[in-house]
Amino acid sequence: MTDTQAPPSTATVSIPVKQTPAPLRLLENYALPLLTVLVYIFFSFFPLSAAAFPTVNNLNVILGSQAVIALIAIAALFPLISGYFDFSLGAIAVMAQVMTAGLMSLYGLPLWLSIVISMLLGTLVGVLNGYFVTKLQMSPFVTTLGMSMLLAGLMTWFTGGKTFVSGIDPALIKFGSTRIAGIPLVFFITLIVAAIAWYFFSHTPFGRSLYAIGSNATAAKLVGLPVTKNVWWSFIVAGFIAGGAGVLQLSRVGSASASDGGTLLFPALAAVFLGATAIRPGFFNVWGTIIGAVFVSVSVSGLALSGASGWASNVFNGLALLAAVALSTYLGRRKRRG
Amino acid sequence: MSQNPGAAEVTSAAPGTTLAVDVRHLDKDFAGTRALNDASLRVRAGSVHALLGGNGSGKSTTIKILAGVYPADAGDLDIFGTPYDLGAYTPSTAQQAGLRFVHQDLGLFDDLSIEENFALDSGYPRRGTGIDWKGLRARVARLLAEYELDVDPRAPISRLRPSDQTMVAIARALQEQDAEQRQILVLDEPTARLAAHESELLLERVRRRAEAGQTVLIVSHRLREVLAVSDDFTIYRDGRVAAELVAASPTEDELIELMAGRSVRALRPTGDVARADRTPIFSVSGLRGGPVRGVDFTVHRGEILGLTGLVGSGRSSILKMLFGEHAPVSGAMTLDGAPYAPGDVGEAMDAGVAMVPEDRVHEASFMDQSVTENLALATLTENWTRGFMPRGRERDTARTLIAEFGVKVAGPDALFSSMSGGNQQKVVMARWMQRAPRLLLLDEPTQGVDVMSRADLYASIRRAAADGCAVIVASSDLGEIHALCDRTLILSRGRITDDVAAGTLDVDGLTSLVLREKTAPDAPTEATA
Repeated sequence: MTDTQAPPSTATVSIPVKQTPAPLRLLENYALPLLTVLVYIFFSFFPLSAAAFPTVNNLNVILGSQAVIALIAIAALFPLISGYFDFSLGAIAVMAQVMTAGLMSLYGLPLWLSIVISMLLGTLVGVLNGYFVTKLQMSPFVTTLGMSMLLAGLMTWFTGGKTFVSGIDPALIKFGSTRIAGIPLVFFITLIVAAIAWYFFSHTPFGRSLYAIGSNATAAKLVGLPVTKNVWWSFIVAGFIAGGAGVLQLSRVGSASASDGGTLLFPALAAVFLGATAIRPGFFNVWGTIIGAVFVSVSVSGLALSGASGWASNVFNGLALLAAVALSTYLGRRKRRG
Repeated sequence: MSQNPGAAEVTSAAPGTTLAVDVRHLDKDFAGTRALNDASLRVRAGSVHALLGGNGSGKSTTIKILAGVYPADAGDLDIFGTPYDLGAYTPSTAQQAGLRFVHQDLGLFDDLSIEENFALDSGYPRRGTGIDWKGLRARVARLLAEYELDVDPRAPISRLRPSDQTMVAIARALQEQDAEQRQILVLDEPTARLAAHESELLLERVRRRAEAGQTVLIVSHRLREVLAVSDDFTIYRDGRVAAELVAASPTEDELIELMAGRSVRALRPTGDVARADRTPIFSVSGLRGGPVRGVDFTVHRGEILGLTGLVGSGRSSILKMLFGEHAPVSGAMTLDGAPYAPGDVGEAMDAGVAMVPEDRVHEASFMDQSVTENLALATLTENWTRGFMPRGRERDTARTLIAEFGVKVAGPDALFSSMSGGNQQKVVMARWMQRAPRLLLLDEPTQGVDVMSRADLYASIRRAAADGCAVIVASSDLGEIHALCDRTLILSRGRITDDVAAGTLDVDGLTSLVLREKTAPDAPTEATA
């Protein structure tokens, strides 16, 4: 600085900016967890479900069944934050579930090797998805949908249409039904993965760059962020986590048969989009996603125990997904408007 | 104004005295800035009329008012003698009145055939339940012949040579012209994308259409080309008519003088130009790639170097190659005495280069993120300590930068989108200045920025240079170049045609250099371009 007098600056003028008052903002950030608690209390006292709902056994069902879906939701976060959809994650999970079971049951491989091979396969699918989407610039929507169909077809061929029930290492099943303080072990595993994902998103250049890429990929490239590489990695990480989710699913269910994984993927997407309405409204985030998954599970379980039929859970998942997308789109648009 | 004295007597055979377009007393304000002030435009039927003026003279605004894109604040409009109310004037009114526009971006579908491009505009002719392809093809073939286009109607647009593409766009715009409705063809910078010989081909054909009675209004920067085809000229300066020349043949220099005039300058040069010492920081030789066809220059420590020229002269491409965004086809670069060849933006940044891109919204803004996050993105890896992103320190840095760069914002956590354009640009500038770059590249640094922010930005740029940074400013705003730069390179069609030291020329002098379009000496390596 060579100027002796202060440069003419306009910084001293503070302009009033419309801002949500603090208590309201707090309510907006924590509306979803609050709603989850309210729904839980409601079903605990609702005459039709009061007997079975507020029990340790049911809590075990709620958290256990949702652990796998929450894990897939966390996997989906990686591409979604950078602005890409991955529809193949449900199919990857099913593939890992079927392969782990099949390798033990058909080929007698040891448990650890079956798990390693299955998760590597999941990762490999992520590598392929990332390659197609970044290097070949293929539409992520159609690419991953096609991948999902391809995997479902391959798994039907591998299983021959049968369900693997025998030959699965009982250690895995035992692991899946282990509880700590009444809460299933798999739920803790999901929490640990969530914590690691949170660390990546908030506290590494990689995670921060994913948010930047999702916001404006061209600008991200022009501030020196490795856009192609990081988007590719987001698909790889998603494939890896979805593979792990499949192994956990096998440990909980104890059997495996081929499917397109839609029953895993769509509730997971509902959780992700619900999550974008909480904690950091307008943005996909890890803790919002976990709460979203629990919310869906609490509601579905409450409905089921109140005597609603099987279709009720699908209807609820669908409605939740629609409402969540509407809300997060609205919040996102408001963010951009400022 | 300086109406050509001999004009009234000249009653040439072809263009008559009836007016095709007659606009008077046109006013238009943009957020307090007067774009048009009692402007007028009189186009004689059957003439080729050139509308000329520098950047911000109001010529584009007039065209957009004629097209119905902008509403006029005040003014009268007659088209072929029929009065139109400018208060209720829309694009469809313009269409009905017979105005047909062909813009620089031709609006053709490159992968579709010529005949389909015609049909998409006029509607597909039907026969029974299907499309009358035969009828369409015959009609299009007739039109193409009329417009001297020797091409197959089934050929895709992308296979045509550039001047033919423009001609197809013209033929398409005028396809419904018949004895009942006379139309006026408005060409907005028709040759900006074309090489010299291609524009000649195009303009010759336009000239022949005019001889057949077509009224043409051309807006262009390329004076020499305009001179060759136009009968009449209207020259705008600062939103007013500086001159109206009817059936005249002025020289290039006369036109330039009329266009440049004495323009009002809000920001003047500081006068101290000797800040630069003679230590070269960055130099480039033989740089080629895209529109750039062999460029050599050196920037010194503390120097602000200007790059200017018309659209398509290669200003932005040079900066993009310097910043590793595009790889040059050939050429050698040196930074601080060491060879410099960035493979990507990250490498350029590591070498100490920074760039503020031209298009702030699309290339530099993370609208839904906070000011802090926007600033921190350029230093993510540098900030990452002991495995964590230091949010508190990022916020402190943001506070310091907000104060230092005079950003008007609610706070470091306010969203980027909540700020005005000028303040957004200050944040983008601060994002790069915090890295203390050796070489700072600025592409149109104050485009769409208010005057106060512009003064703050100029102060930051001068401060950076005073701290020893080498700065390159690419700008089409010659007032900005004149106010800011120690030395200016004038680019024309991918080559440097002039090297002007500060103080030797005023804005008008620079304007005439840019507009003159020197025929660059053909380098012997031309063939490899």
